[in-house]
Amino acid sequence: MYSLKARVLRIAVAWIVTLIMVLPIYYWVTVSIKRDKDVFTLPPKLFNFAPTADYFKAVLLDISPVQQSIESRGSLGFSGGGMSYMVPRLIDSMIIAVSSTVLVVSMATLAAFALSRLRFRGQHHFVYIVLSTRMLPPVAVAIPLFLTYKSIGLYDTHIGVILAHTMMNIPLAVLLLKSFFDDVPLEIDEAAIIDGATYWQIFRRIILPTMRTGIAATAVLCFIFSWTEFLFVLMLTATRLKTVPVATSAFVTSTGTQWGSLAALGVAALIPAFIFILLVQKNLVRGLTMGSLKH
Amino acid sequence: MRFAVPRFMISEHPFPWLFPLIAMLLVFAVFPLAYNIYLSFHEFAIFKRSLVYVGWDNWIKLFNDTRLNNALFINTVYTVVCLTVQLVLGFLVAMLLDTDEKGFGVMRALFSLALVIPPAITGMLFKLMEDPQFGMVAWLLDKFNLLSRDVPILATPQLALIGVMIADIWQWTPFVTLIFLAGLRGLPKEPFESAMIDGASQWTVTTRFTIPMLSKVIAVVVLIRGIDLFRTFDYIFVMTSGGPGIQTYTLSFYTWKQFAASLKWGYGATLSLLALIIINVAASLLIKLAKIKW
Repeated sequence: MYSLKARVLRIAVAWIVTLIMVLPIYYWVTVSIKRDKDVFTLPPKLFNFAPTADYFKAVLLDISPVQQSIESRGSLGFSGGGMSYMVPRLIDSMIIAVSSTVLVVSMATLAAFALSRLRFRGQHHFVYIVLSTRMLPPVAVAIPLFLTYKSIGLYDTHIGVILAHTMMNIPLAVLLLKSFFDDVPLEIDEAAIIDGATYWQIFRRIILPTMRTGIAATAVLCFIFSWTEFLFVLMLTATRLKTVPVATSAFVTSTGTQWGSLAALGVAALIPAFIFILLVQKNLVRGLTMGSLKH
Repeated sequence: MRFAVPRFMISEHPFPWLFPLIAMLLVFAVFPLAYNIYLSFHEFAIFKRSLVYVGWDNWIKLFNDTRLNNALFINTVYTVVCLTVQLVLGFLVAMLLDTDEKGFGVMRALFSLALVIPPAITGMLFKLMEDPQFGMVAWLLDKFNLLSRDVPILATPQLALIGVMIADIWQWTPFVTLIFLAGLRGLPKEPFESAMIDGASQWTVTTRFTIPMLSKVIAVVVLIRGIDLFRTFDYIFVMTSGGPGIQTYTLSFYTWKQFAASLKWGYGATLSLLALIIINVAASLLIKLAKIKW
C-alpha cells in the first residue's frame, strides 16, 4: 500500500528513534567499562576508549582497584573507599524479590480465582478495595511500617522488606491474574461441576495448568517491581541489608561519585530483569495495565 | 468417614480463597491507614521522645503551609507536563512502530529495556548526563545553542524540575508506547480501509478514528501513569534532593523530609493521608468517567 521510499523512510526514522531511546543505556554501559579520564571528557567518548573491567571486578569479584595497577588508570583514579563489592547486595535483592514474588503470587492466585469464579456479595467493592491499595503512596505505608517494625524487631530484616514488597505488588497481581482467569470460559467450570468436581479441583486441574503463562507473566512483573523498588528499602533498612537501587548511594561519597562502579552495578542489575521481561513479551502490556486491557 | 468441615471452609465458599489476601490487606493496608490517622492527631515530641496528642493541629497546619502549597504546585506541574509529553511522544512512536515489517519486533523489545531499570539508577544516570562539566545532555544542549554549559541544569531553580522530568520522560515514554502499540494492534482494520478509500488524509484518520477508538487505552494510561507521577520520589531523591532550595519538593519528598529529617511524624502522616485522598478522589473520578473495568 505504501511506496518503497515511504517504507524505507519509516524504517530509518523508527531506528533513529529507537537508538535515541537506547543511547543513554549504551552510554551507561560504556561508563561501566571506561576509565575515569574517558568519562570526564567532552565530547563524550562512545566508541574510542580503551575498555577496562576494573569496575566489574571491584563490584562483582571484590578485587579492590588498589591492587590493580595505578598508572593504567586515569589521573582521578578511584574516589572514596573500597566499599565497592556488591554481590551481597545483589543477593539481598534476589532474596527479597524472589520471596515477595512467591508470596504475592500464591496469595493472589487464590484470591483471583475466587474473584473470577465465585459469586458473592460485595465482590465489586472488594475488587475496588484491592485496586485502591495501588493508590496508596508508598510513604503512607512506609511511615507506620517503620514505626511498627522498630518496635517489633522487623526493622532492617529481609522479612520486613519482603512483606512490604508483597503488599506493594498485591493489587497488580490480583487484578492481572483475575483478568487471565476470566479468559477461561465458565462453561468449563459448569461441565466440571456436573462431573462432580469441587472448586478446588477446578482450580488445581483446570485453571492452574491452563494459566501457566499468565501466572509467569504476573510473577515476572512482581519480581521487576520489587527489584527496582526504592522507598521501602530506604526507609525500612539500615545496615544489614540493602537492595541494588538503594545500594547505589554507597558510591556517592563526599569526595565524588564513583561513576564506574555505579554503572557496573546498574548494568549487572539490569541483565536479569531484562531477560525476565523478554520471556513475557506477549503478556507484558496486559501486565503493565494490571489486566485492564487485553488483546 | 468424613470430618464435618465448617461451611465457610469449603471451596465453594469464598472465605478460604480470600483469607490470605484479606489478612495481608488488614495488616499492611488497613493497619497502616489507621496508624496514619492516629499519628495525624499526634506529634513526636523530641524532648520527651514520645508522641503527644495535638488534636486537629496537623490538619489545620495543612491550610497555611506555604511549603505544602509549593509541593502541590510542583506535583501538579510534574504530573501534567510528564503525562502530556509521555502521551504525545508515546502515541507518535507507537504509530511509527505499528507495522509487521521485519525488524520492528527487535525495536519493540528494545523499548522494554527502559522499564527494568530501577528509577533510582535512571536518576543517577541522568544526573551524570546533565552534569555541566562532562554530561552528554548538557554538552548536546550547548552544541545546539539551546543552553550554555555554564548553567548547571539540576542546580538552577528554573531548570531543576525540567532536568528531573527528562529522566522520567525517558524512562516511561516506552511504557506508554508499548501500551499504545498493543492498543493499535487491537483496532479493527475495516474503518481505516474504508476511510482511506474515501480519500481521507492520514491526519483525519488519526484524529477522527484512531484516537477516539483508543480512548479507553488512553484513560488506562492516564490512570496508571498519573498515580505514579503524583507519587514521584526516587528521581527527586537521587537527582536533586528537592533542591535547589525547595524547587523540586514533590509531595512525597516533602512528606519523607518531614518524617525522616524533621522528625515530624504526625505531620508527615497527615501529609501522606492528604496525598492518598487526592489520588483516590482523582483516580475514582477517572475510573467512573472513563468506565474502566476490572
